Amino acid sequence: MAIRANPRLIEELELYGAEDVSKCYHCGNCSAVCPFSRDPFLFPRKSMRYLQMGLEEKLKGNLDPWLCYYCGECSDECPRDAEPGETMMSLRRWLTSQYDFTGISRLFYRSWKIESAAILLVAALTGLGFWLFGSSVGSLGVYDGPGAFFPSSAIHKFDWALGFLLAGLLLVNCARMWWFSIGRDPKLRIPVSAYVRRLFLLPFHFFTQDRYRQCEKKRPWAIHLVLMLSYLTMLVLIMFFLHLVQSGPEIDWRVHAFGYLATAGLLGTTAFALYGRIRKTETHYKHSHESDWIFLILLGYVAGTGIVQHVLHRAGLNTAANITYLAHMMGVVPMLGLEVPFSKWAHLAYRPLAMYFSALQEEAMEARGRASEETARLRAA
Amino acid sequence: MGGNGKIGVFFCLEGTDTPPELNLEEVARYARNLESVVRVEVMGTRPRLDPETLAPDLKRAGIETVVVAGDSPGHFKQAFVRALALNGANPEEVRLASFREHGTVPGKLTERAKAIVACAVRDVPFGLAAVPKPVPVHPVTVVIGGGIAGIQASLEIADAGQKVILVEKSGTIGGHMAMFDKTFPTLDCAACILTPKMVAVAQHSMIDLMTYSEVQEIAGSSGAFRVKILKKARYVDPDACVACHACRDVCPISIPSEFDSGITTRKAIYMPFPQAVPNSYLIDAESCTYILSDGKKCGACLTKCAKDGIHLDEKDTVVEVEAGNIVVATGYDIFDASRIERYGYGTLPNVLTALEFERLTNASGPTGGTIVLKSKKYNKRKKAEEWVFDAEGPRPKSVVIIHCVGSRDARYNPYCSRVCCMYSLKFAHLVREKLPDAACYEFYIDMRAFGKGYEDFFERIKHEQVFVVRGRSAKVTEKDGGMVVKGEDILNDRLMELPVDMVILSVGLQPVADVESLARMFGIARDRDGWLTEMDYNLDPTATERGGIFLAGVCQGPKDIPDTVAQASAVAARILRSILSGKGQGSRADLTLEEIDARSRELAAR
Repeated sequence: MAIRANPRLIEELELYGAEDVSKCYHCGNCSAVCPFSRDPFLFPRKSMRYLQMGLEEKLKGNLDPWLCYYCGECSDECPRDAEPGETMMSLRRWLTSQYDFTGISRLFYRSWKIESAAILLVAALTGLGFWLFGSSVGSLGVYDGPGAFFPSSAIHKFDWALGFLLAGLLLVNCARMWWFSIGRDPKLRIPVSAYVRRLFLLPFHFFTQDRYRQCEKKRPWAIHLVLMLSYLTMLVLIMFFLHLVQSGPEIDWRVHAFGYLATAGLLGTTAFALYGRIRKTETHYKHSHESDWIFLILLGYVAGTGIVQHVLHRAGLNTAANITYLAHMMGVVPMLGLEVPFSKWAHLAYRPLAMYFSALQEEAMEARGRASEETARLRAA
Repeated sequence: MGGNGKIGVFFCLEGTDTPPELNLEEVARYARNLESVVRVEVMGTRPRLDPETLAPDLKRAGIETVVVAGDSPGHFKQAFVRALALNGANPEEVRLASFREHGTVPGKLTERAKAIVACAVRDVPFGLAAVPKPVPVHPVTVVIGGGIAGIQASLEIADAGQKVILVEKSGTIGGHMAMFDKTFPTLDCAACILTPKMVAVAQHSMIDLMTYSEVQEIAGSSGAFRVKILKKARYVDPDACVACHACRDVCPISIPSEFDSGITTRKAIYMPFPQAVPNSYLIDAESCTYILSDGKKCGACLTKCAKDGIHLDEKDTVVEVEAGNIVVATGYDIFDASRIERYGYGTLPNVLTALEFERLTNASGPTGGTIVLKSKKYNKRKKAEEWVFDAEGPRPKSVVIIHCVGSRDARYNPYCSRVCCMYSLKFAHLVREKLPDAACYEFYIDMRAFGKGYEDFFERIKHEQVFVVRGRSAKVTEKDGGMVVKGEDILNDRLMELPVDMVILSVGLQPVADVESLARMFGIARDRDGWLTEMDYNLDPTATERGGIFLAGVCQGPKDIPDTVAQASAVAARILRSILSGKGQGSRADLTLEEIDARSRELAAR
């Protein structure tokens, strides 16, 4: 098969945040210090090589970036300051844009202006839509119950609709990820039984982030786990218990206990990440792509408006609470609607999938190795 | 001169080593006033030059000749060549004004940069315009440093009948070469080829050997230096000492031996090694109990010396000599491997530096040349267990040699140390020769076997079943009492986790610790890696900006023994030329901008 090289690949990747890729002289230091690098997935040096050679198609099917958790050891130990860790980060952004069939992700990652504009547009549309809806079904002074500006039952339906839409988009992208890394490779023949046998890896890695835990530094894993669990708690509360969460003004501890915990988790980790990125406290915080800042700002905004809305409602200021609710939705909808399928959040699907796919790849490769050994043996006999 | 005569001067910096005292704006202002210059632009650090946009720019200004000025302007030349070609102008008309090549004069960087730009604008080679005036020269030469470079230079000059004063900091001449077991690629015994030269130095009637001495100050001017030399007290009279070792046997103080790179110990009264020149004992004042206690304690050696040669009340003296030329041959230090924690040097007993292995495998080393692992021994005096080399100790079954330790690394020394690949190959050969059952691995980044016969040597060790792995290992860890080396085998696309017994770190070379004060004393600059700078990298690699001061050996930059010897002989030729002709080289550093400017005008007018 002819291999087509893209000599401008490094320049393209620089738009996704890569720096100094061409400095690499392939000493293999990074692959040797990396706690995850092992046969047959050797990284980050190999990815650096593909980039230098412009092997775009090979990189598209490369799962290595998703197996890296950016502990930063490789960048710290790099004798050339070639920033292999940041290259892997940029490759994750690039891969996200390659998986995305709409091309929106590509636009977002390459231009923060377009991403910001899209966020503002979706926010404005959300605001307008909810305002018109709210005014038609209720009055601004009522927060909950009959005549509420945002009746929880309606919001509930909207949430589920949005959820299905996002899941659909993400699923298509996941299918493309499968096609690039496994499907189109005729050498990888994976039996259905293997797919079923390894399926447990998906929920396992999603919920435990066990691989992240194996990094030499444990704190980033802990922080990420808290963030993820907080999100998950929020998601469950909103998708299944919205009516309980929204009712008031008395505090329903059955749900709010979880809500408070999750909020604390979200705020704490967001503040930590913001502080880290501003002060560049750790290797993985040294380089920040525009999309990282947008993501953190959105996160902070959503958490902040959520708290204010909650407090205002409990204080009996229902009009103010409804306005804050509207402002909150204007953050939530673009954050979920744009970040989940098209930007940073997509990794919630790609990471566990990559563990799953790489396990399948490895199994197929081993089987092929055994088969060729067998053939060689038979031939010799 | 080609084109229409209109010249544009463009400043493009590489940026990695632009000294802060270089005032680029001032140089640019100066360039604007030079004749024919119509445009001066400071393009900044590592500008991305596009010939397509440069071309119309140059055309509009009518520029048909371009001067690219900077620390390494050659990096940016091509864009201007293409731009001129696109304009239909003569693409040859791009001149380089390289500050790095001609520019390093301490304290006068801006003035020098101006002169370099002026010469480039006038198309006059800087080397022709900046010719220092000859000076009368004193016939005596001071050589600083008694390694192979200093020894070679001294012998060459002295053999020509001229007086040499050889000043050596330690108690013996010989330097690093005396510590080596074999030389590459010929596998000559280093001591066998060096010691005759050392003895020749000691016996030469035209060489004054001053060991255990340091140059403190260089006054005067080119051709007529006054050199102040501190003669540190040896406390043992070299003329009386017959090296009977009686004093050593009673001395109670043991400290790590410098000559054995710390793998054995020596006494406070010691001879650096058996073939030391002068072949005499001396006392290390910093560890001698008698001297440290002002004569209140110890003094055991005094009673044992049959020749009454020990004088513990000896004082340092300073002598001043006159000299016409000075040879700087101050050598190098090796990289401190403990700075890279992942290699475990200093914590894992059987991780050795190259110099330690060199001593271990040397027939005069602690095991008589047997390669063994360190074994634990009980030290009665210290009442503790310690790791020592014992000739009866276990032999390693697998040895890993890791290249580029501290070299080619942005965090430590960015340059290639040049000798490590070859000495590593030599080690591999020695391991395979002495321990045929041991596996030997080399982890390398690029194999730099560049010299005569070096590639052959590389091929040879491959045929000796040495496993040569492309990929520098990054990690040595302890596992079940042994060691594991982890590295990527790049050419075989796999990860290696090798259980090994011994790891040798091929440490690089670096400038001596006090290089900064040395450079200040000599009045010569250092390059970005810290090495002393020569006058002209290509055409005058032995002289310096300061007339009468010459460089030989590694102090100018990493090099192997053949290159060092060649450079030392070249220095001798330069010095003999000045002595025999009576015309010493003046200082280029002392030339003023006006002088160079006037001379370049004169040359341009011809």
